This record gives sequence, structure tokens and C-alpha cells, in this order.
Amino acid sequence: MSPLDRRRFLTRSLGALGAGGVGVAIGAGLGEQAASGAPAAPSLAAQAEQVNERSLALRIPFDGPNQSGILTPRQNEATFVALDSIAPNREVLFQALQALSAEARLLTQGDTVGVQEIDDPPPDSGILGPVDSPDSLTVTIALGGSLFDGRYGLVAMRPTRLTAMPAFEHDELDPARTGGDVLVQICAGQRDTVVHTFRELMRAIDGRLVPRWTIDGFQSAQRGPTVKNSRRNLFAFRDGTANPDVSDAALMNQLIWVQPGSGEPAWATGGTYFIVRTIRMHVEFWDRVGMLEQEQMIGRDRVTGAPLGGVGEFQDPDYASDPYGKRIPLTAHIRLANPRTPATADERILRRGYNYHRGVDEAGNLDQGLVFIAINQDPARQFATIQTRLEAEPMTDYITPVGGGYFFAPRGTAGGSDWVGSGLSAV
Amino acid sequence: MAVSRFGISDEGAPSPRLGPWRRHARLLAAVVGLALIALLAAALIPSGGSNGTKPFSVEAVAGHVSTTDGLRTHLTKVFGSNIPAKQYGTQIADIEDQGVDTNGQLASDLSPLPPSAFAAPIAAYRAYAERWAAKVAANVPALRGALASGNRAASEQSWSVVWSDYLHLGAVYGLLPGTIDQRIDGTPNALPADGLDGEAGTNFSGLHRIEFGLWTGAPPRSLVRWATQLRGDVVTLRRVLPSVQITPLDYATRAHEILEDAQRDFLSGTDVPWSRAGVLGTAAGLTATQEVIGTLTPLLQGRDNALGEVESWLMQLQAVLNHLRAAHNRSYPTLGQLTPAQHELLNGTMTGALGALSLVPGTLETTALPVIPKIPSAK
Repeated sequence: MSPLDRRRFLTRSLGALGAGGVGVAIGAGLGEQAASGAPAAPSLAAQAEQVNERSLALRIPFDGPNQSGILTPRQNEATFVALDSIAPNREVLFQALQALSAEARLLTQGDTVGVQEIDDPPPDSGILGPVDSPDSLTVTIALGGSLFDGRYGLVAMRPTRLTAMPAFEHDELDPARTGGDVLVQICAGQRDTVVHTFRELMRAIDGRLVPRWTIDGFQSAQRGPTVKNSRRNLFAFRDGTANPDVSDAALMNQLIWVQPGSGEPAWATGGTYFIVRTIRMHVEFWDRVGMLEQEQMIGRDRVTGAPLGGVGEFQDPDYASDPYGKRIPLTAHIRLANPRTPATADERILRRGYNYHRGVDEAGNLDQGLVFIAINQDPARQFATIQTRLEAEPMTDYITPVGGGYFFAPRGTAGGSDWVGSGLSAV
Repeated sequence: MAVSRFGISDEGAPSPRLGPWRRHARLLAAVVGLALIALLAAALIPSGGSNGTKPFSVEAVAGHVSTTDGLRTHLTKVFGSNIPAKQYGTQIADIEDQGVDTNGQLASDLSPLPPSAFAAPIAAYRAYAERWAAKVAANVPALRGALASGNRAASEQSWSVVWSDYLHLGAVYGLLPGTIDQRIDGTPNALPADGLDGEAGTNFSGLHRIEFGLWTGAPPRSLVRWATQLRGDVVTLRRVLPSVQITPLDYATRAHEILEDAQRDFLSGTDVPWSRAGVLGTAAGLTATQEVIGTLTPLLQGRDNALGEVESWLMQLQAVLNHLRAAHNRSYPTLGQLTPAQHELLNGTMTGALGALSLVPGTLETTALPVIPKIPSAK
């Protein structure tokens, strides 16, 4: 049953039992810690260390009705890994997916690294030290349309709206950076946690799922003025301002989670479509554009994030009073992306993107951009509709989508040995 | 390919740092200021009373300065300015320093140019483009002949000539009607939907189709059909070229877009994955850019210091390309043949040239900065 090597599994279990104090569930424990004891004015270094310890101890549940890493507030660091299956048959594929979930569950919940026999390779690479702190780690697992081809007899199980990612007008998709049978999103507070997770997950699935492409992302730091203000992307504009409210369960059922009776196979209920777009941003080109033109392309003030003509980031741009685009041009990004009309309310998506930086290209230009993540219930109704409208925006001169893919993130797991995608095995 | 960028001035908002052109403007102002002081000092020094002029006479000083003040003559010639010469310096300084006028509105330090001022430059460029289109047409038969002869080396050489000729058209890209540009110079979009092999797609034709075949081992004779099709497409090109509409905005932005595209598509290797002829493509783009800047020189003269910066950097880029050509048996090396030092020199000089060219659209603004209305009071 368990895909883990038995010895390793025992070590892990013992470790997990013995490490009761390693993790702190999100939302609990912080207050008490702060209140207890009253050391006189700890040094800045000590304070920073304390903050770091607390943040490393933050734990996000792996199991639940929906997968984590979707509505979860964005952690600072991320890696996206697209995998192709080389499994010879369905059983081996399912074992690999099972192993992926099992390893992800252990890592996200925190674990003590054990040593089994001194002359054997250790079960954990150990790069985080003797304890794998949870560090807000989430591992989100999604399936690509190619997994539902003839290879594994899963054709009938394909989520109804899962297709290969179409090429939009300005796309220059590199096949080596596009698609994949499985997508894994790894997010955590610290880069080393993400790197460690990637490394351990690969060990769990080796010989069955192999990396096709991968990309690392980072979040801009919270630089205020308030904690509510959105972070900036690499064009320096605040990004994510108009995201739907993830605490509104009814809204999430309307926009994000696949509902029963929506024409989807039963196993898809509670899942969502997870769209990755690797978008190169030609930052040198952008930096040579006048400030006013930058702002008119986006439709917002670069400093405050306010819609043009406004004062606050979250102010309604009130397009109805600006029918000719005198304030916010009709082709401005925010206006095309979200016209804020009753007719377009159902098109809204949840964005959960990360900046990326991957060195320089042959011409000496920075290879920077956005790992754009769109999460939605129906790609055709939501993401693709918006993206098609955005083909008319002037900003297309400064960006080139080069990769990504359409994936389906199944519902969450019930705990124990349940695994993401287990609904597929109930045929 | 880039569609036109709408050319709002880049002078829109105050910048915390001085751009290079501003530093130059300041330097120029300082030099002129020093010259004036020297003139004043010379005038104020008692001259020994020649011609009976009274020493320290205000009239004498004023008269003396006005007859030797080259600056005044220069300022009245600034193209498109409607600011009286006497006020020009202070008004410009205020707007340059603050980026707003006395009413607090965003303001450019330059008055908009009348769109009609672009008519002569665009007409001159059109004639230049037609000359290059004629060269393309004249050289396609040689390419077709080389392919038909089965000689790969001669075919590659002929391909380079035709491709470079076509790129010399420069500023008309994106403006050609229909799919002409795609048919002549399109690159395959490798799309998953097409089975990941865009090169095999039926819409892939023209110069890059021939490039793909030549550099991936296809028999040259098998590529003759693409040269035949190319010949027809070039006929179409020459027929439509005289009526292609180029707006002032298109034309002003082409000044930097041609080389930006050369950097993004050629120096990066993206659009020439098989021949790797990125340096050749860049050289053609430079010639087209020089033509654009040359035709715009009467408009650029005296407006900020863009022209000096641009001319200096384009000359440096030309010198680097000449050097590379000389160092590789008088033909442009492929990207792979560049030494690391040559590659850095080319990339770095290109970056410098693009920085200078980014000053051009704002300098050639044809519309005043818009006044952005406020959102009606909170709802």
C-alpha cells in the first residue's frame, strides 16, 4: 500500500510522533508565545531570530476538502515543476502519484530527519538540518490534459474543460517549457525549504515521473505602506489588487471550485483549473518607457497603485463615469482584464503569481518576468476570455508568454493514505 | 512584431535621478553660463576708454553682450517652440526640474510638433524603403538559382544577401497590409496545438523557411519552391509599399523599435535559430535606424540633446559592427563565431544605443500631455 520504503516510512512516522513540538498550526500558538515570559528588551538580532523561528514553525494542513496552495496567502518563495510520466502502466502511475502526496504530506507537516543505518544513504538529504520545519510549506498537485490520453486508460476521466493550453495571439511558446502530465507547485517562506522539498519529492517519484520543465518564483517583499497593499511585479506595479475575496466561500464556489452537476466527472468536484503562464517581461524595454505611458498602459498610478485619477489602491475605477477612457484608457490593462460589469463578474479569476528571474539571455538582456497563475472553475469562461481581450492591450509589446500549461488540481485529500488524484482509481 | 507604442512623452513625471541627456543639458547650460560670465567680465574690465566708452556703463555692457550672444540666435530656432526666447531658459528649467507647469499640471519641456513636420522625413524614408525593396527583388533570382544548382554554400550566401536586404526596410514592418511580412519573413510559432513542430506547419514560408532548410541539411533543390513563392511575395511587397501609411507616431517610435527588435530577436538568437545570423540582422537594422534618424534630424535639432546622444551611440555601434566584420574576413560573423569579448562589446554598445534612442519619441511628441481627470468623489 504505502509507496514509501518500509524502513523509511517507520523512521518518518517515529520522527513525526517525536516531533510534536516542531510545527505550530497556522493561527494558533503565536499569541501565547508572545505573551509568555517577559525578557527585558531583546536585541534586534534576537528578535529577528525569534521571528524567523516562528515563521519556520508555521504549518499549513496538507489534507482538507480542497488542496492548499490555492486560496492560501502567497508564501514568499515558489518552484513550479512540470513532470512527464514514464510509468509503464496505470498502477505504476498511481503509485507515483501516491508517493508524491505521501511525501508532500510529511514535508508540509514537519518532520525529524532520522538516520537508519549509518552505512546506508540517509532517508532525507538533510539540507535543512536535523528538523524539516514546515515553514508554511504547501505542495499543490495538478494534472495536465496529456495524462488523459490513451496511455493509462484515463480518457473517460478527463475533466471536461481540460485542454492543452491554446496559443494566444502574442504567445511564443517553447515546447520544452510548455505542458506536462503533472504539475507540482511548491511554496514556502524560505528558498531552502522549497529547494529541499523539490529534492525530496523527486526522490519519492524517481523512475516514474520525470521533470519536463521547472521555474522558480519569488514574491516582492511587503514594503507597505500597509500590509493590505498588494506586492509589486517586475514592471513595478502592484499586482493582484482586484483579486476576489478568498474568504467568501460562496464566491469561491462561483469562481474557483468545480461544482457537482456542472458537466464534470464526479471525481473532479472540489477541484479547480490551475493555469500556469510563464511570461517573459522585457524589462529593459519597459524601463525605457516614460512614466506616464507606463501608467496609462496599466491604468494605475505606479507608486500608490490607485486607478488613474484616484487616490487609493482599492478605490473603484468607476469606468461608468469614464466611457471614453479619458481617465483610464480603454486599452489599459486593468480595464480590459476586469471591466467590472455585471456581465463580466463570472469571468473573474484568482491570481497567485510569482516574479521570476533566470539570468540573462544571449543578447545580454535580463530574463525576468512573471509566473502567472490563474485559478478558475472554467478556463474558457474565465481565463481565456480575459486573455483574448488582453490581446488588444499596448502592454503586449513588452511581454512574451513563453511557456506554462493548463492543469487540473483535484480536490484535497482526506488524510491517512489518501492521495491527490485518488478519485481516478475509483473506476 | 511590435505594434506601435502610443507616444506619450517620457518627460511626464519628475524623475528623482537625472537622465544622461539631462546631465548633458546641464553641462551645456553650465558651459554657456561660464561663457556669458566671461563675456560680462571682459566687458566690465576697464578698457582704457577707447572710443570714449564709459567704463562700467550698463548700456555698453548690454550692447556688447547682445552682439556676441550666439545663444539667442540658437534659441529662436528651436523647432516648434512657442515660448518667447527671453523666457525660454527659465521656463524650460522649471519644467525640466519639476515636470509640471506653473498650474501644477504634468508638462513637457518641449512644445508638441505639428504632425505635418513629419511629411518630408516619411516621404524620404519611403523612397529609401522602395530602393531596398528593389534590391530584394533583384537578388531573389540569384538565391533561387543557387538553390536550384544544389550548392549549399552559395545558397547560404545568397540567402544572407536577400534577408539583409529585406531587413533594411526596417521602419515599415508591422505596417504592411495582410500577411506579406509573415509570408516573407515570418518565423514559425512552435505551438503545442500544432504538434510541437511549427517548422513543418503549412503557414511557414519565406526567408526563414529557406533558412531552416539550408541550415538543417535539407537538399537546396528542395527549397526552390519557397524561393519561387518568395519572388511573388516580393512583387506584392513592391506594389503595396508606395501606399503604406506611416503615421508620425509610428515613425518616431520606429527610431528605437528597429534596434530594440534587433536586440530582442537577432542578438538573442531567437529569430535566427538556424543560421545564427544575428549580427548581420543587427547591421541591417542599424542602417535602417540611421536612415530614420537622418530624415528626422531637422526635427530633432535643438530639441533637448537627443540628437547628439543618438548620433554618438549609433556611430559607436557602427564602429563595433565594422570591427567585427573586419575581424571575420569581411563578412558578419554568426553569433557563435563571436569571441566572448566581441559578444560583450556588441551587446553592451547596443544597450548604450538603445538608451540614447529612447529619448527620441518624447523629443518628437506631437500632442500635449493629457490632463487626467479625477475619479468623481467616493461612491
